[in-house]
Amino acid sequence: MTPKNTFFSLRGQAIYWCAAILLVLTAFPFFWMISTSFKSLREIFVFPPYFFPKDFTLANFDRLFEQTRFLTYFKNSVFVSTSAVVLTMTIASAGAYSLTRFKFYGREKIASLILFTYMFAPIMIIIPFYVLIRKIGIANTHLALIMAYTAFCLPFSLWLLRAFFQSIPMALEEAALTDGAGRIRAVIYVIFPLALPGIIATGIFTFILAWNDYIFVRILITSDELKTLSVGIADLYNATVIDWGMIMSGGMLITIPVLVFFVFIQRYLIAGWGAGAVKG
Amino acid sequence: MSVWYGTVYSVSTIFLQIVIGVIAALILNEAFRGRNLVRGVVLFPYMIPTVVAIILWKWLLNDQFGLVNYLLLAMGIIETPLSWMGKDYIMTSLIIISVWEFFPFVVLSVLARLQTIPPALYEAAKVDGAGALNRFFHVTLPQLRNVLFVVILLRSIWMFTKFDTVWLLTQGGGAEKYIRTLPVYAYMRTFMYYQAGLGSTLAVIMFGILIASTTVYFKMFRSEGEI
Repeated sequence: MTPKNTFFSLRGQAIYWCAAILLVLTAFPFFWMISTSFKSLREIFVFPPYFFPKDFTLANFDRLFEQTRFLTYFKNSVFVSTSAVVLTMTIASAGAYSLTRFKFYGREKIASLILFTYMFAPIMIIIPFYVLIRKIGIANTHLALIMAYTAFCLPFSLWLLRAFFQSIPMALEEAALTDGAGRIRAVIYVIFPLALPGIIATGIFTFILAWNDYIFVRILITSDELKTLSVGIADLYNATVIDWGMIMSGGMLITIPVLVFFVFIQRYLIAGWGAGAVKG
Repeated sequence: MSVWYGTVYSVSTIFLQIVIGVIAALILNEAFRGRNLVRGVVLFPYMIPTVVAIILWKWLLNDQFGLVNYLLLAMGIIETPLSWMGKDYIMTSLIIISVWEFFPFVVLSVLARLQTIPPALYEAAKVDGAGALNRFFHVTLPQLRNVLFVVILLRSIWMFTKFDTVWLLTQGGGAEKYIRTLPVYAYMRTFMYYQAGLGSTLAVIMFGILIASTTVYFKMFRSEGEI
């Protein structure tokens, strides 16, 4: 079937229209956000609205950087998400390695139990978690957030990495061990390079989850200068007059990193789905 | 009341997500130019922070300056602007936003499964004279059974315990009362009224309802065929 053929057949046309509707439904809100964020205050409230800004302006972004702590929030988000990724990946790769390479009693049971904890939504564990964090005395610190994300992301990271490790043949490792390499050397030089794509993909999923999170920040962080982007943007609604242009420009800036990463991992998504990586 | 709002919210969003998600996956499974682009873009709503989904839609549904009201007025469907964040329409708005945000999950899962259905099955059905509808109901749907079972289960659990989308829409103000689902109620009791005991009780009740409904769900559907 040539593309031309498909296009002119009735069925092909119908599919094109449906796909176009789907594309508009999902992409248009984003387009509208971008368009609004470049409009001047006057243009935002023009009725009837128009699609493209007539005077292209960066004033919304200026206000965002000057009147709010957007940059601080941004730095916090980057710091917390990155640390959570590093910590989660360290624990998860070690855990996944032992779940696939060592034989011990109840190994499969542990693996399914880990998946089970994944069913708990944040709202159900947040209260005991908060009490615990208060008791340890690290409420209102980034450390609490990093630990929360690590605890929250570990189940699916472990599960996903376990699948990746399972696909690496044992024979490779055994060959290295026979050649006289210790286990550490075998892991670093043989397993790690092979598992790297999997670790990167899992790391990005963790990053997106930590970056997008709202509830943990809302509850664990009280100081304004420690907040991350989600809460920072949501708080912009607390102003007496809602500055839509500024909110839209903030929304656009917080979305960009996620979408960039998303484009990178798109091809892992199917594999990731199997292991339940896309939670929400 | 919270249980009622929560049930309305989860049942309607799950139903719409599944229907829209399956239709979208069927479209994206067809061959057409630019398919990969559309496949990527359709997943966007699921990947972005919830707070972004909320600000996008709050702006689109704004009663005075929102595009949705403008379009509805221009097309003559309504005569006065609807107050989407008011008490009459807030649940509708919430459902629209949630379906938009979460249907890509269904698309992703169903699409992954659709790609593994052997084309031979369709050819056999064609030879036997089955029309498109017949092919969908007798070939595609039975093949999707298992994945739909899991998707409905996961989505129900996640929609029933969904907090951020519901909470961020009002942040405790305006018509918050009319979309106060169990997770929001538990949050407010714990962190606004400092009744952590009551909040935890609500969380346990949520857990109980979940366990009960998943058990029933498994009993009803799993016995008919293995997963």
